[in-house]
Amino acid sequence: MKIIKQIGIIFGICWLGTVAEQLLPFAFPASVTAMLLLLVCLLTGILKTEHIQEKSDFLLANMAFFFIPAGVNVINYLDILKQSWLPLAAICTITTVITFAATAFSIRLTMRLLHKTGGTKNE
Amino acid sequence: MNELWASPFFGISVSILAFWFGVKLQSRLRSVLCNPLLTAILLIVGLLSILKIPYESYNQGGAIINMFLAPATACLAVSIYSKIQILKENWLPIAVGCTAGSVTSMGSVYLLCRLFQLDEAMTASLIPKSITTPIAVEVSSSHGGIVPVTVIAVIFTGILGSILAPFLIRFFRVTDSVAAGLSIGACSHAVGTSRAIQLGETEGAMSGLAIGICGIITVLISILFL
Repeated sequence: MKIIKQIGIIFGICWLGTVAEQLLPFAFPASVTAMLLLLVCLLTGILKTEHIQEKSDFLLANMAFFFIPAGVNVINYLDILKQSWLPLAAICTITTVITFAATAFSIRLTMRLLHKTGGTKNE
Repeated sequence: MNELWASPFFGISVSILAFWFGVKLQSRLRSVLCNPLLTAILLIVGLLSILKIPYESYNQGGAIINMFLAPATACLAVSIYSKIQILKENWLPIAVGCTAGSVTSMGSVYLLCRLFQLDEAMTASLIPKSITTPIAVEVSSSHGGIVPVTVIAVIFTGILGSILAPFLIRFFRVTDSVAAGLSIGACSHAVGTSRAIQLGETEGAMSGLAIGICGIITVLISILFL
């Protein structure tokens, strides 16, 4: 019953996410709404980690497995991949390096500014 | 003959078998190159092609596995919540770093797609490639992207990030472990995080946080500007 209850809580929150997706005027992904809802529930203490621990450990630990069907669907798009694998690989490689650099430098700048203001709490 | 494969039990058991093999292979070879998800996808694509099993038959079971993606994404909240203390202590660098990372990633992908003259669908598939798969898939499909291409690009980026991470840290002279962890998480999500954990505890925690935060920021940007 414990696991069933945990599945109920998490699936229920996911369903609320899809309800929100229908109601919102813009395309906000249901699963991300569910994630934010769950975070709010945890932060406000409505839910405790113990309430969903086992189920969430199971889902998080096996996350990669759940993507297999989405990945296998690539079988229907092999032509596109064959056609443009080179630009694809190039784009992924270049942007990964640029993204790393942008994140690292922006944090370095933030920390330098923080130290300069000497502990005062303004931004 | 086709009815044999059309049972949902076929798709589910073949997926579990392929994933189990992928996990075994990785623990045997200890290389980031044999990502279990990638191994499983390649094995199943190979199997379906050789035996001429229609994707629709496999997907009878596949659709059921796919249903677990939303609950798994929701549970990222639990992993953010477990690091709430470290988030509160470093909220400004985390907010600035993840925003800069997400904007740069999306912007640079967009510009390069234009440069290589890829079409709209391809561009939409690649824009979210630096964030975690469940959120990337949502962003991609809601903007007309091709979901399987997104999945492949996300895995490829993750593997790349985890291989390049130590080199990038030295090349850009990142001495602070908060900055190093966030940068790895921002550019290569969960696969990169598995590498960041090996570099140190702070690196691992920061990289893990960056997964969820960059995901949320990317969704917000995609709603506002795309």
